[in-house]
Amino acid sequence: MTVATAVHSTFTMPSPSDGNPRRGSDERALVVSAQQGSSEAFAALVRLHQRRAYAVCRAIVLTHEDAEDAVQEGFLHAFRALDRFLPDQPFGAWLYRIMANASLDLVRRRKVRDADELSESSPAPFRDPGEADELRRRLSQALTRLTDRQRSVIVLHDVEGFTHGEIGSVLGIPEGTARSDLHHARAALRRLLKDVRSDI
Amino acid sequence: MTKLTTHNEGEDPEVARTLRAIYAAPVGEPYWNDLEARIMGRITEVDLGWWAELDRWVRPALVAAAVLVLAASVAMFRARQVETETAYENILTPSPVPVETVIRPTLEGDREASLRDVVGHRERSNRRP
Repeated sequence: MTVATAVHSTFTMPSPSDGNPRRGSDERALVVSAQQGSSEAFAALVRLHQRRAYAVCRAIVLTHEDAEDAVQEGFLHAFRALDRFLPDQPFGAWLYRIMANASLDLVRRRKVRDADELSESSPAPFRDPGEADELRRRLSQALTRLTDRQRSVIVLHDVEGFTHGEIGSVLGIPEGTARSDLHHARAALRRLLKDVRSDI
Repeated sequence: MTKLTTHNEGEDPEVARTLRAIYAAPVGEPYWNDLEARIMGRITEVDLGWWAELDRWVRPALVAAAVLVLAASVAMFRARQVETETAYENILTPSPVPVETVIRPTLEGDREASLRDVVGHRERSNRRP
């Protein structure tokens, strides 16, 4: 299992402490306190980052339930690796990288399991039971046709507002690759949704 | 019909809007409080495991072992140093009792006997008529 234990990037990932130096120092104090064994401090870090962590995981996995599992796994990995984290580094960037790796591991495990279980039948496309219209249904289907990375990049960029550099850091790929993945993901979606867009 | 646009690096606003609807995070504090509780529950499970307890003891045990090794090394070094110093002292410092004085009592007895013997012989010779 690959779990990032340090991120040596120079930019600061958007995080709940952004734009507020006091909150940044509060977060650092929480990290130090959690490293010294305070579970209350770690709970405070969870409270601070769980929404953003969920967003990262949700962009990579296919379902809400998998995103929840990945968030829990990610925080568990972060807790275990906490003593190796340098408090001078941005905690958010480190944590979201761990979340992305936990999500990618889960996607890989799901693929292996699905290949075992559905080897005799055709794979069922992901379908959100709550989807209301045709575009939403077809978009959900089209997203399953993208590669994991293309899907993650387009969701992180278009839904969560991450920059290319931030996506590169989270997914462990160069910024240029994130940009190119986004371009190809959009082109693939345009192609896959061409007929439905004509029908609407 | 909505045309796919190419503005903002090819983003289609309608697709982006639908994507946001599909990927919308759950709303409401109860959900996030529950998720936090589940996360902390898993962490507590792990934290209370016997191997975590073992892990907690690894660092102090390593420090204690290092201190013991250091103390043993210092003691061995000191013992060797004292041994070397004693050996040098034995070689370089003259013995407090000279060799002659040890031998002298033995010689002294012999010389005394010889002297008495010579003196006695002379006296005996003088007494002879």
